[in-house]
Amino acid sequence: MTVTAQHDLNITRRRVQPKAAKDEFWQRGLILVVIAYLFVGLVLPIAMVFTKSLQNFSFQTDQVTVAFQTETGFDTPRTLQSWFEETGKEINNGLRPTERTRLAIVKVIPKPARAGIEAFQITDLSEKGGQFLIDGVLSEGGTTYEVERKKLSKVQVKPQVDYGLGNYGYYFSSPALFHSIQNSFLIAIAVVVIVVPLAFGYAYGLMRTNMIGKGFFRLAATVPVLVPSLLPAIGLIYLFGNQGILTPLLFGQSIYGPIGIILASVFFTFPHAMIIMIVALSSSDQRLYEASEVLGASKWRTFWVVTLPGARYGLISAGFVVFTLVLTDFGVPKVIGGDFNMLALDIYKQVIGQQNFQVGAVVSVVLLVPAVVAFAVDRIISRRQVAIMSAKAVPYQPEDDPFLDRAMLIYCGSVALFILGVIAMCQFAALAQFWPYNLTPSLTHYDFSKVGGGGWSAYWNSVKLAFLVSTFGACAVFIAANLVEKARGFELGRNFLQFLAMMPMAIPGMVLGLAYIFFFNDPSNPLNFLYGTMAILVINTSIHLWTVSHLTASTALKQMDKEFEAVAMSLKQPFWRMLSRVSAPVCLPAISEIWLYYFVNAMTTVSAVVFLYSPSTQLASVAVLNMDDAGDIAAAAAMGMMIFYTNVIVRVGYSLLTGRLLGQLQAWRHR
Amino acid sequence: MNDSYLQVIDVTKNFGDFTALQNVSLDVKKGEFVCFLGPSGCGKTTLLRAIAGLDIQSSGAIIQGDTDISDLPPSERDFGIVFQSYALFPNLSVANNVGFGLIGSGKSKSEIKTKVKGLLEQVGLPDQAKKYPSQLSGGQQQRVALARALATEPNLLLLDEPLSALDAKVRVHLRRQLKELQQTLGLTTIMVTHDQDEALNLADRIVVLSQGRIEQVGTPIEVYSQPANAFVADFVGEMNFIEAKRVDSGHIGIGDIHLAADMQAVDGAEQLIAAIRPEDIQVQNADTAPNGFSATVTDLEFCGSYLRATMRDARLGGAEFRADLSMNLARRLQVKEGGALAIAMPPEHLRVYPAK
Repeated sequence: MTVTAQHDLNITRRRVQPKAAKDEFWQRGLILVVIAYLFVGLVLPIAMVFTKSLQNFSFQTDQVTVAFQTETGFDTPRTLQSWFEETGKEINNGLRPTERTRLAIVKVIPKPARAGIEAFQITDLSEKGGQFLIDGVLSEGGTTYEVERKKLSKVQVKPQVDYGLGNYGYYFSSPALFHSIQNSFLIAIAVVVIVVPLAFGYAYGLMRTNMIGKGFFRLAATVPVLVPSLLPAIGLIYLFGNQGILTPLLFGQSIYGPIGIILASVFFTFPHAMIIMIVALSSSDQRLYEASEVLGASKWRTFWVVTLPGARYGLISAGFVVFTLVLTDFGVPKVIGGDFNMLALDIYKQVIGQQNFQVGAVVSVVLLVPAVVAFAVDRIISRRQVAIMSAKAVPYQPEDDPFLDRAMLIYCGSVALFILGVIAMCQFAALAQFWPYNLTPSLTHYDFSKVGGGGWSAYWNSVKLAFLVSTFGACAVFIAANLVEKARGFELGRNFLQFLAMMPMAIPGMVLGLAYIFFFNDPSNPLNFLYGTMAILVINTSIHLWTVSHLTASTALKQMDKEFEAVAMSLKQPFWRMLSRVSAPVCLPAISEIWLYYFVNAMTTVSAVVFLYSPSTQLASVAVLNMDDAGDIAAAAAMGMMIFYTNVIVRVGYSLLTGRLLGQLQAWRHR
Repeated sequence: MNDSYLQVIDVTKNFGDFTALQNVSLDVKKGEFVCFLGPSGCGKTTLLRAIAGLDIQSSGAIIQGDTDISDLPPSERDFGIVFQSYALFPNLSVANNVGFGLIGSGKSKSEIKTKVKGLLEQVGLPDQAKKYPSQLSGGQQQRVALARALATEPNLLLLDEPLSALDAKVRVHLRRQLKELQQTLGLTTIMVTHDQDEALNLADRIVVLSQGRIEQVGTPIEVYSQPANAFVADFVGEMNFIEAKRVDSGHIGIGDIHLAADMQAVDGAEQLIAAIRPEDIQVQNADTAPNGFSATVTDLEFCGSYLRATMRDARLGGAEFRADLSMNLARRLQVKEGGALAIAMPPEHLRVYPAK
């Protein structure tokens, strides 16, 4: 066919609708699969939290009637309401009924009134039924059931649901719960005020001085990420608790409460703040310092006008990250908080202690608000941090300054001593035969068979979970990030996937865990079979830690040449070949970093999985919690140390592997 | 449409409110080497990416051979591409980079190996097969990228500023090699460049673009000696621009001096711009030549093989222009600052455009 410019002019005015390539359908399909995964594992469960928080339950006592058998048949039915009016009792003793509250008929109708009655007729007056249960079977609407005397005790009235803001009203009018908000904010702010300057000083020592032992100090500072947040709390109890070795240092103050919570929170948030500070301080430009020196500014002035402003986004970002971590952590207040209540702990207490899911959902929503706000602010700030980095910047080279170097050595040494001291205390306590009376070292506490929590099988479950999550998660996250960054067209899907990938960071672990109960434990959910399995723990943990992994993968992918995909398309190669032969090998360091991040965090996480484990899938981190709860604190310390050893071994193994094996696989990096 | 291989018909590309290409039409013949030349942001890369299908045009058609490829994805078009960044896969050896497009093509491993060997020989890198890209120089990397683009035997080669990242000497050397290879293969080639020397040197035809529109299409000689408008005249080569007025249908006036010129292009406009290249100003036998007059040399600039003289004259008004003189000629005519010199602006080299 011949095409002339003339005859085609009309056609060419039309907008061109690009056609999709064959492999693009696979790309789009995969994008939809990941979206579906995050939708089912994140969006729907979180939506359930909102729905549940609006559910109110009440007994409709006017919808159930009871008639007594007489010699001439059954007498006139009476509503339960009239019985309450007659006896003057309060419904459910005046307490707010929850989803699982039941009202026994035998408690409503006083014993003397039904003496000698052989049978009863109980009627459900409501249209939709379900007002009461007989032997666990729901009543049908408008139906009358005849019950013998013996079986009357098996009749239980069930509360009915309606939707409204009642739970919120109850929550905000209950002083104890409302007090938790105040406590949580005060503690979180206190920890931010302590940790951010502390971490800034530490990072300053590492990045801006020539003190000795930088490698050691860098390692020491990251130790807290290798243990669950429960462990520092346990360590502090051994140090400053009722039988602690340093208790006199508190001058009569109790470690159980705000002091303990703040100290333990400082411990576990420190590395997070420090890593952000290191990044902020490493992005400074030598030329600014030279300019400042040439202009005759003193060191002190240079610090105020160059160093601090350069790190300001890091400081703010670290503040928000620490704030969120403290606000959403429940392990620390659980172990060391005494009767000091905090928001995240309230969720745990409401759900595990009182089985009050609706109020748990309300607290979750309350907790979500500051977490989402802090996350949004942090994202905006970290975008700016990137913007101030110029490609031409010259890395800063610290000068020798004997006084400063020595001062920083003492400073960093003290911080490292605190961190390692707490860990060492845990180790000591785990090995001591019977603290504090018999300090003979023994491995008794590592024999978990005599304590609850699941023992060694819990430990192996944790290792299994960590391996599954890290391997599955690293693959899934990398493929998803690759699709977001590199797929052709389908911007709507890619943007939506990007949005979903950022969401998990804003969702506190407790809230996600509770959301999973609501969503997966619902018998009408076809995915209900996952409940109580290892699979649900893997899904939950992989999504809980998705955002940081996604950002790591995205950053690595963004550093690759933008034209790689164009070249691959011109060479008629499908995206999966590009992914497997080029993108994945080039990004192997980032992928292994994600793997490690997943592993370490899956070993230590408590908040999300504490609602989801079953007898066959108990976990080490949860075991620490449960052992401590049961008073087996030495065993809890021992289990916590097991997590620590495992993470240390995996970390060291990772370093060796990245050093050697990656060195071979990545020969192309060397000239 | 006889021998045209690639037709771009009325192509427009919008990025939001910004129009990167506006109603661009173009024919490329089979075996032709075409350069898209223009300043940055003129749309040359956008046009190349539209032809490749990487950024498909908003409207308009592109026809390659007998196929309307307007809406096809890159993977269903027939082209090889080389980028300024080389875009070599860093984790693959040179041989694997070149052979990347041959995977899944039905060729056996040994066939691929032979093919890759042949391609590397063709680009002059027979011994580098086992090295990684980072072990090669920029010029070598660019040749690997070229070999990779040629591996699938495309009928169209697209080059996106392929030589811009290289240093001057390598660039000239590679330029020659590229041209030879293109001629040997008879491969239709489109190259984007902002370097006019490169375009003049390599292209069979040059497409000059500015602000999303085609300013001129022509052979290098046409574009250089008969620039279609002031933009092309300014962008390609050195050019004197002198304000002038229309005198009659065959003459312009610069100050008090009247010069004969081809006025066809100006459409009766009164305010004009006269353009002449510094090397086209005649100094030998100028007193007897048409359009000859005398001017004062106000400045002399030494430029290696030639001298650049800046000239003025009271009769020219405020106008000032430059003339390039070979060293040899300058010596013979004893040109010096402040001295007078007879020059001529030959009518066939004097171009006239309407003033903006």
